[in-house]
Amino acid sequence: MLYIKCPFCGYRSQKEFAYGGDGTIKRPELNQEISDEKWNEFVYLRKSPNGKHIELWHHVAGCRQWFKVQRDTVTHEIFQTTKMNEEIK
Amino acid sequence: MSQSYRINNEGLLNRNKEISFKFNGTKYTGYEGDTLASALLANGIHLVGRSFKYHRPRGFFGAGVEEPNAKLQILLNGHSEPNVNATEFELVEGIEATSQNCWPSVKFDLGAINNYLSKFFPAGFYYKTFKWPKSFWYKVYEPFIRKIAGFGIASLEKDKERYEHKYEYCDLLVTGSGPAGLSSAYAAAKNGAKVILVEDKPRFGGSLLTDDVTIDNLSGKAWTDKIITQLKEMPNVIVRNRSQVFGYYDHNMTVMIERTGDHLKDKPKYVPRQRLWYIRAKEVILSTGSIERPIVFGNNDTPGVFLSAAAKEYIKVYGVLVGKKPLIFTNNDSGYETALEFKKHGIDPIILDTREEHTSELIDSAKNQNIKIKFSYAVIAANGYKKVNSAQIGRLNKDKTSFVNSETIECDCICVSGFWTPTVHLASQSGNKLKFDDKIDAFVPDKSKQNETSIGASKGTFTLQDTLDEGFKKGFDLSKKITSNNNSISTPSSNEIKKSLHDKFWCSPLPKNKNFKRFVDFQNDVSVSDIEVALREGYRSIEHVKRYTTLGMATDQGRTSNLNGLQLVANVEKKIVPQVGHTTFRPPFTPITIGTIVGREVDMEYMPTRKTPMHSWHEKNNAVFVDAGAWKRPRYYKQGNENLFEASKREAKNVREHVGICDVTTLGKIDIKGPDAAEFLNRVYTNGWSKLSIGKARYGVMLREDGIVMDDGTTTRISENHYHMTTTTAQAANVLSHLEYYLQIVWPELKVNVLSTTEQWAGAALAGPKSRDLLAKLFPNLDVSNEALPFMGYTEGNLFGIKAKIFRISFSGELAYEINVESNYGLFMWEKIMEIGKEFNIQPYGTEALSFLRIEMGHVAGPELDGRTIPYDVSLEGLVSNKKDFVGKRSLQKEAFNKLDRQKLVGLVPTDKKTNIPEGSHLVMDKNAKLPNPKLGHVSSSCWSVENNNPFSLAIVKDGKNMIGKKLFAVSPLKDFAVEVEVISSHYVDQEGKRVRS
Amino acid sequence: MTNTSPLNFVHKVGKFGDTNKKIQNNILKVSEINGLLIFQILQYKNSSFDVSKIRLDGLSFPSSLKSTSNSNTRILWIGPNNWLVFSSVLDLLEKEKNQFNEADFAITDISHSRTIIELEGNLVNEVLKKGCPLDISSLKDGDCANSVYKGINITIDFISESPKKVRILGLRSYGESLHHSVTDACLEFGYDAI
Repeated sequence: MLYIKCPFCGYRSQKEFAYGGDGTIKRPELNQEISDEKWNEFVYLRKSPNGKHIELWHHVAGCRQWFKVQRDTVTHEIFQTTKMNEEIK
Repeated sequence: MSQSYRINNEGLLNRNKEISFKFNGTKYTGYEGDTLASALLANGIHLVGRSFKYHRPRGFFGAGVEEPNAKLQILLNGHSEPNVNATEFELVEGIEATSQNCWPSVKFDLGAINNYLSKFFPAGFYYKTFKWPKSFWYKVYEPFIRKIAGFGIASLEKDKERYEHKYEYCDLLVTGSGPAGLSSAYAAAKNGAKVILVEDKPRFGGSLLTDDVTIDNLSGKAWTDKIITQLKEMPNVIVRNRSQVFGYYDHNMTVMIERTGDHLKDKPKYVPRQRLWYIRAKEVILSTGSIERPIVFGNNDTPGVFLSAAAKEYIKVYGVLVGKKPLIFTNNDSGYETALEFKKHGIDPIILDTREEHTSELIDSAKNQNIKIKFSYAVIAANGYKKVNSAQIGRLNKDKTSFVNSETIECDCICVSGFWTPTVHLASQSGNKLKFDDKIDAFVPDKSKQNETSIGASKGTFTLQDTLDEGFKKGFDLSKKITSNNNSISTPSSNEIKKSLHDKFWCSPLPKNKNFKRFVDFQNDVSVSDIEVALREGYRSIEHVKRYTTLGMATDQGRTSNLNGLQLVANVEKKIVPQVGHTTFRPPFTPITIGTIVGREVDMEYMPTRKTPMHSWHEKNNAVFVDAGAWKRPRYYKQGNENLFEASKREAKNVREHVGICDVTTLGKIDIKGPDAAEFLNRVYTNGWSKLSIGKARYGVMLREDGIVMDDGTTTRISENHYHMTTTTAQAANVLSHLEYYLQIVWPELKVNVLSTTEQWAGAALAGPKSRDLLAKLFPNLDVSNEALPFMGYTEGNLFGIKAKIFRISFSGELAYEINVESNYGLFMWEKIMEIGKEFNIQPYGTEALSFLRIEMGHVAGPELDGRTIPYDVSLEGLVSNKKDFVGKRSLQKEAFNKLDRQKLVGLVPTDKKTNIPEGSHLVMDKNAKLPNPKLGHVSSSCWSVENNNPFSLAIVKDGKNMIGKKLFAVSPLKDFAVEVEVISSHYVDQEGKRVRS
Repeated sequence: MTNTSPLNFVHKVGKFGDTNKKIQNNILKVSEINGLLIFQILQYKNSSFDVSKIRLDGLSFPSSLKSTSNSNTRILWIGPNNWLVFSSVLDLLEKEKNQFNEADFAITDISHSRTIIELEGNLVNEVLKKGCPLDISSLKDGDCANSVYKGINITIDFISESPKKVRILGLRSYGESLHHSVTDACLEFGYDAI
C-alpha cells in the first residue's frame, strides 16, 4: 500500500486517494482552433513509461485536492509530490 | 507407551498442566507448551502423513516453519482446518488431529501404489499424460484426479470466528526475537525510539533457547527473559509473541499476523482469533535468523530423518527425544551440538562427518565425551520405509563422487545438518536483490531498496558475539537517526564454543546399480532424478525447472529445498549457483487464513451500505430493495403475493392514473456557488446556461472529452450565483470529481465552489395527473398553479413547519414535482405525503416502475448512456449548442460521429404484442441468416407499457430514423431466442410531451 | 416525530461487548451527536481577504489539520481555504454571515448531511486503529483529519485528552454502516451506549 504525501495533508495511506491519470497532459484552450491530430493526441494518446512518471492523484477521502506525483512505475518509489500550480523538478 | 520419549528435567514446558488430544482416533497426552509435533514425538509417533504424489510414509523433519511433511487436519470446537503445520501448532485440550492424503489410514494407504508405479510418474507427468482422448478429460481424468489430489479438506461451514485488523506506526520494527532482534530492539528502545518487536513463536529468544551459550554470564534463556521483561515495561515499546511479519510491501509497510486466540481453549467472546496488523515503520530490522539446510541422500524422506537442529530443539525446548539410537550426519560443526545434547541424556550418538579428520573446539568437546565420530563418511540411504531402523553408510572417496565401501548400522533416527541458509524472504520482498555469499554458500541480502537492514544469522552472521555487536550498534544507530537521541548502552559479552568451516557437500552420490530415491523437495515429492529430467528436457532456467518439477512450490515454499535444488541445477549446468539465480520470494511467509485477510468485512460490514432517511418506512412497507452502488433503493413494494412484474405494473399504472411517490434521495446533488458559476456550467454542459433565470431549472447533458455522454441531470438556478445541480445516482461521485478536476487543474482562475449536498436533502418525486392537487394540499399557502409554477420551475415552501424546495421536473414524463426537505425531516415529509395523499390514491413506486414509465416516454437513462453513445445517438442533439465551446465538443466533429447512417435511438414493439424483448438482444434483419449475421443495433431498455398494455423497448440502431416502420428480429443467440419486432418512434407515449406541461 | 436522527434506528442505549471485569475508564462510551448547525465555509482561491481577522463565535479560523473550539462551537480545517463549522448556536450562521461577502466566500448549510458518533474512554485510540490508516497515536486534541474507517469516508475530530474524547463524522447515509463498524470495534473492550 503506497504512502503518498498529499501537499496539503501530509503522508497518507493509498486508501484515501484515487488515481487520476497522466499528469503531463495540458488540456487545449477553449475556443481555439486545433487540428484533428493534436486533439486526438490530447484525448487518446498516452505514454506508458517504464520508470519515472508524473501522474495525478485525487485526495478523495481527505482534502479533495488534485495534486501531482512523480512515481517510478516499476518500483513504486515516489520521488516528489507537488500542488497543481508547482513544477516537478 | 505413554510419552516414552519424554525426558525429565529438560525443556520449557509447564509439566503441571497435562493436555489430552486425539490423533487418528487414538488418545494421547502432552503438556502445556507442546506443539502437536512435540507431543506426538514424546509418545513415539513418527508416521503422520503420506506424500503428495507417491504416498510415501512421512514423519516430522523439522521443529518449526521449515517443516515440509507434517500437515494435519485439525478439529477444534467444531472448527475444522486443513494443512495445519503440526510443528507450529500449539497443543490445545481436546483437539482431534488426522493425517491427510491417505486412505484408509496413514499406516495402510492404498495410494501407496503410486510409489510402486513411480517410474511412470516423473516430473512433467501431468503435462504429458491425460491428453487423449480429449473427451476423457472432463468425464474421466479430471474427476478422478480431483478426488485423489490435494492434501486437507476445506470446511464447508461458515467461519464463525472473529478476525480483526489494526493500523500501527513505529520508528523501528524488529522481526524476530533471537539475539539479533533482542539486541537491536533493546538498544533502540533505550534510546527513545518507538519500537515494535515481533516474535513468531510463543517463546522469545530464538536460538538462545537451544544453544549452549552465556551472555553477561546468564544463560541464553535467562538473558532473553531479562531483556523481554524490561522491554514490556517501556511505554515506547510494543512486544508481541505468536505474531509473524509475513509480508513486506511498498513504502516500508509490512503486514503482521497476531495469533491472539488459536492457543486458547476458551477464548473470551469478543477477542479475535487472529489480528492483522498493517505496520508502517520508519525503519525495519530483519532479524529472522536462518534455517538449517539438509543433505540429500537415499530415502531421506523416511520417518525418523530430522534436521539436526530440530532434534536439538525437541530436546532443549520440549524435553523430547526424537530417537534413542541417533545417527548424526553432518557437513559442519552444528551436528556436533545435537550429538552433545543426546549425550547429556545418556544416549550415545554416532556422528558421520563428510569432512576429513580435523579439529575444532566443538569437535574436541565431542571427542572428550567419547562420542564416536567417522570422518569422510556419508549416509548412502536410510532403511525402514515406515520408520528408520538402520542406515547404509560408507566412506567417501577423495573427491566425494562415490563411496569406497559400505556397511549397515543400526539407528532409529538420522539427524542431518548441511549448514545454514539465512532466512531472506522479507528482505527479498522489500526489493533487496540479494547476492550469493560463497563463504556460506547461500544468498544474503545485498542493497536495500527500502529502509530495511538485516542483521545476525539472516544476513550470514553465525557467531553470537558478532550478532550482539551488530544488534546493539544497529539498534542505536537507527534510533539516533530517527529520534536524534544519543543514549547508547554497552554491548554485553558472551561465551560461545568455536566452530570450524563447513564442507560443500549436500548430496550423497548414488552407488552403482542402486536407484534410491533422493528427495530434494519433500512436500511436492521432487527428487534428484526429477530435476535431472527437467534439465534433460531442456528446461534450463531456474524459473522453468521450478515450475516443471514444482520444486519449492509447496506450502513450505522450498525452505529446505531451494538451495539444494539450485546446487543440483548448477552442477548439471556446470555453472555456479549465483549464475543460476533464484526464484522470487512472495508473501505470505507462511500460510495465513483467508479470515484474517477479510477481517470484519463480513455480514453487515461486507460492504458499507447507504440508506435514505425514508429507509425504515420502505422496510416496514414490504419494499424489496435493489443495490444502486452502495445505496439500497426500493425496487418495488410487494403487496400480497405479487411478483416483481405484477407489482411494477400496478405501481406504474397508478402513477399514470392517480399519483405515485418515489424516493429519489439517492440522486446526486451538487451545490454550486460563485461569480463564475454560470460560465462554468456553460463549459461543462453541452447546452447554454447564461440565460437561465432565477427560479428556473434546465435539463443538462455532460460529455467526456471524447464526446461520449457522461451524465445528465437537472440544474436549477436558486439565486444569482447559486445553482443546484443534480446527477444520476451512479455518476454522482464521478461528476463531482470531474468538476473538481476542471476547477482545480484546467480553469483554476474560475471562482466557483462545488460541494456535494446529496446527504443534506431527502427527496421525494410526486408524479401523476393528481400530483398538483396533492401538492396544493401539502402547501396550502403556496400558489402551485401551472402559471405560478410552470414546467421546469422552482420554488420554496413550508411543509407543516419544515422548509422545502419544490422542483417541477419529471423523469416519468407525467405531471410531476420533486420535493426536497432537510434529511432529518425526510421521514416526516414522506409520512405526511402518504397521509395527505390518501384521498388521491397515492401509492409508493420503486425503481422498476420508474423504469417502465420513463422507458415508454422515450427518456434515456444509464442503459442508453452506456459509455458508447454521443448526444446525436440518443435524441439529445437539440441540447448541443453551436454557440460555445465545452468539454467534449471538439470530439463531436469526428467523422464517424457524423455519418448519415449513425446509430440512433428508436422504440421497438414485438409484432405479436406479447413477447418481452430481453435487454441486450441484438437486432438483425434476418434471424436465420448465415453467420456472421450483421448486427444492426441492440436493445437497451425494456418495459411493459402500461398505457398500451404490451411490451415496449428502447433500442440503439444503425440509421435508426430511417428504420422506423421496418420489421427486424431481436435475437439472443446464447439463449436461442428470437422475436420479430417493429421499429417505431422512441416516444411511445405522449409524443409531444404535453403531460409534463399540463 | 418530526426530526429523525441518522442513527435513530440503530443506536440503542445499553452495555455491549465484553464489559466483564473491566476497569471503568477502559469501557468506552458511545453516543450520537445530533441537532448541530453544520456549515461549510470556502474561501475562493484568488480571494485576497484576510481570514485571520474573522471571528466566528469568538473563534479564529484554524490552520491546516487543526481545529479551534469553545463550549458551543468547533471549527475544523478540512482542506485549503476550506472549513467546517459545528455549533449548538443554531442561528450562528444567520448572525455572522455578514462577515462573509459573496465575492470571497461560498457558505453552505449542510447540517443534515452528517452522522456524528462520539467516543469517549481510554481505549478510543485502539478503536480508531482498527479501521483507520492514520497514525492515530500521533494525533491529539486540537487535531482533525479526513480519512477512512473500514472503507467509509470520515472526519475525526479530536476533542479532548482527559477524558479521551473524539467525534467520528461520516455521511448521513452511511450512518448505520459506520455505527455498526465502530461499535463492532468496541466490543472487545466493552462499551456503554448512552
